Amino acid sequence: MPSTIVSVFIAITAATALLVGFRARWTRSREGKILAFVALCVLPVASMWGGFSEQMERAESTQFCLSCHVMTDFGQSLRVDDPSYIPAAHFQNNRVPRESACYTCHTDYAMFGTFTAKLRGLRHLQVEYFGTIPKPEEIKLYTPYNNRECLHCHLGARHFEEASGHHKTPGLLQSVKSGQKSCLSSGCHDIVHEVGSLKDAAFWNEKK
Amino acid sequence: METPLVESRIKWASLLIGIGLLIQLGTLFRVHPLAFVGFVVVGCPLIGAGVLLYLWSLVPVKQKASEASQLSRMGNGWIP
Repeated sequence: MPSTIVSVFIAITAATALLVGFRARWTRSREGKILAFVALCVLPVASMWGGFSEQMERAESTQFCLSCHVMTDFGQSLRVDDPSYIPAAHFQNNRVPRESACYTCHTDYAMFGTFTAKLRGLRHLQVEYFGTIPKPEEIKLYTPYNNRECLHCHLGARHFEEASGHHKTPGLLQSVKSGQKSCLSSGCHDIVHEVGSLKDAAFWNEKK
Repeated sequence: METPLVESRIKWASLLIGIGLLIQLGTLFRVHPLAFVGFVVVGCPLIGAGVLLYLWSLVPVKQKASEASQLSRMGNGWIP
């Protein structure tokens, strides 16, 4: 719905701006000058701001991430009927918002995380349209998955803090929290998207 | 009749802003990275250029004599 409001606002602004342009002589009067200021400065800047925040919000959506063909398998991996698949377990049990599942786990929760992600996105687009698209199973993260992204939600949660697996060895939990031991590559939660083996997987049929 | 420079700039500004806004409007119909790039790389600069051109048109310019007399006949000069 916000999209409709923003679209209508942008359309009205465009019509007003073009009208002032075609009737530029109106701006000879004082009222015309005020109209021109509103139509050619205030409304366009407001429209740009509204449109930008709408686009940023869309860029967080799962639909946005999966709109590139190469990501299709990663989207499918969210529906694997096996709780050992970490992304699938999070997606199917609403541990992450389904409409922004990719963004929730793959944004860097750091100062320039969003900005860096957008720059990488530009590079991905370049490869998508002008480069050689890799196979889904060849796609790797730029840097090893940071525990910080898991701890953003799990830190302090009873299920995480008191889980028996997290106390198997003394100091294990602390080393996970400090990032010395990876949640994913330490042999504990190492089954993630596994897009290379999806053809053998069973998928969850969600009952609506 | 010759169009005053200010009005000419306003026309160009409105054209840039109008095109930029229509492009932005078009990008809102699709959820796709290309739409995002179109919005940021094409739409925003066009609007920005239009707004700057409009603001530039507000800066006083030295008038040509013919233009000044034309505006003074209209009783409302552009130049403060």
